[in-house]
Amino acid sequence: MNVVTVQDVSKTFGSGHTAVTAVDHVSLSVEAGDIVLVMGPSGSGKTTLLSMIGTLMSPTGGRILISGQDISTLSPAQLSRLRLQEFGFVFQTFNLLSALTAEENVMMPLLTAGVPRKEARTKARAALEQLQLGHRLRNLPRDLSGGEKQRVAIARSLANDPRLILADEPTANLDAKTGQDVTLLLCGTACRENRAVIIVSHDQRLRTAAKRVITIDDGRLSTEEAGEHNLHCSMHPEAAPA
Amino acid sequence: MLFLAIKNLVQEKTRLLISVGGVAFSVLLILSIQGLYQGWSNKIGEYIRTVPADYWITQTGATDMFHTPSVLPLTVRDFLAGVDGVGSAKPFSGRRVAFAHNGKDINLYVIADDTENNVGAPARVVEGKSVPGKGEIIIDRVVGRSQDIRIGDTIPVAGRELKVAGYSEGGYILSFSFAFATKEDAESILQLPGATNFFLVTVKNGADPAAVVSRIEADPAVDAISKDRFVENNTNIVRDTFLPIILVLLLIGIAVGMTVIGLTIFTSTIEKAREYGVLKAIGVSNRQLYTVVIEQAVTAAVLGYVVGAALALAVSAAAGSYVPEFITEIRWLDAAWILGVTLVMAVAASLLPVRRLSRIDPAEVFRA
Repeated sequence: MNVVTVQDVSKTFGSGHTAVTAVDHVSLSVEAGDIVLVMGPSGSGKTTLLSMIGTLMSPTGGRILISGQDISTLSPAQLSRLRLQEFGFVFQTFNLLSALTAEENVMMPLLTAGVPRKEARTKARAALEQLQLGHRLRNLPRDLSGGEKQRVAIARSLANDPRLILADEPTANLDAKTGQDVTLLLCGTACRENRAVIIVSHDQRLRTAAKRVITIDDGRLSTEEAGEHNLHCSMHPEAAPA
Repeated sequence: MLFLAIKNLVQEKTRLLISVGGVAFSVLLILSIQGLYQGWSNKIGEYIRTVPADYWITQTGATDMFHTPSVLPLTVRDFLAGVDGVGSAKPFSGRRVAFAHNGKDINLYVIADDTENNVGAPARVVEGKSVPGKGEIIIDRVVGRSQDIRIGDTIPVAGRELKVAGYSEGGYILSFSFAFATKEDAESILQLPGATNFFLVTVKNGADPAAVVSRIEADPAVDAISKDRFVENNTNIVRDTFLPIILVLLLIGIAVGMTVIGLTIFTSTIEKAREYGVLKAIGVSNRQLYTVVIEQAVTAAVLGYVVGAALALAVSAAAGSYVPEFITEIRWLDAAWILGVTLVMAVAASLLPVRRLSRIDPAEVFRA
């Protein structure tokens, strides 16, 4: 079964002569283990599409199915639960909680899902250690580098074992080397664990990690091609780039 | 989510300090005012409770010692002694006297200390003579300290010079206090030839008090008021006079606390709007987010309460030494309801931030 099915989805902001169509009749499906890179110029509707798939925004037309379930039938509380259990989010600006340490940031989704504190701590530590951040557990976000912050964000996105990871410009605030390392880490981890990943980005270098590359232009899906996908999905966690 | 609330609070120490300070001030104000109210109420009733009587017999319509004058002929005693069930009936004389001393206005409620009938003695003498002699008077220690009247000083009471022979305690009633003179001196001050103000009646063991009251009140010139009721009637002076003022001050205290918590939590919520948006995006429900904000407010309020209560206790203990009129009684019951008010205040103050939180759009987190 597809993890995500987008069927003829549109999103229009405003109405009448001021109406702007950000996403125009887009359809796509994403399976488990897929790594989909969504590209396109600024304002093409990439982030709007990602927001709708992430259930943070409702489409004005068409429908989106997550694991076969039409999300338009779910209540706000059910959508929150769905995001918590099924999705991991990675943002351009990291969006870590400034008052919490790296470890606590990763614990957050687990605690929200009702995982006991001790177990949540153990899982968070394991996730951070897997991402080479075992020495940064007690550091606040302000004490971490950009690459470290994004790795914490990746650990947080993976904490609840989501089936789908949604990443919005994950390399935009990182230097080229760190950006590539972080993306490879995200995609490599997801790939090994058979999770689906949708990445919205301008960064052409991410093609090396993607299995499929979709281009959106003016709200419409213009092209879909195979990515280079040079990842060794079975690589040992220790071999992941720092 | 309590850990997130605490982390958020601790992260912004200045704001936390303002929140805690605001609530502490509010609690200090409320607890001190309530303590004063309770202290003064108790003080008024304290002396009356020590007077040996089951019933106070007053002139009809007189309900207390201060608001409604009561003058009864001494012959009433014969009537009372003859009532079936009455154990004893003793006259009790006293009235308020104002005079100036050392340029200050002094108000005393002079009571005749009738050693023969064992009526009208001070509740507790803490310094000097315990029974006034001829030409002497025992005043309350609070008045002595606040008006700088020392034992051995002479004061002009209703045209008579009386020497202060001792200090008593438990007779200070806000604007005036009980003082005790011999029966003869008191009678000359009070000018009540052949009359007294009240009779103190005890009921014989085994007699039905209600029936005794009924028999006494068969005389239309008198009322029989139980001791507890008489205490209450006198205490109501404080309640009627000060309760409206106290209520206004309580509301001010609550408003101050609520405003400070509300504003600090609100500004914190606005500053952290993006982080709350992230939490919404990753699946934290609105209810869980509201809980975080309410927990922040409640935590700040509880800290403020602890600081405020400690300050109130310290102020209560210290201020009494410098300002004798500052008589407070802080009861556990009052501390408990003020904690309740503080918690309600915190939750109410969270409503505005919660409302703001509900409007945060999680899709905003995708904007750089």
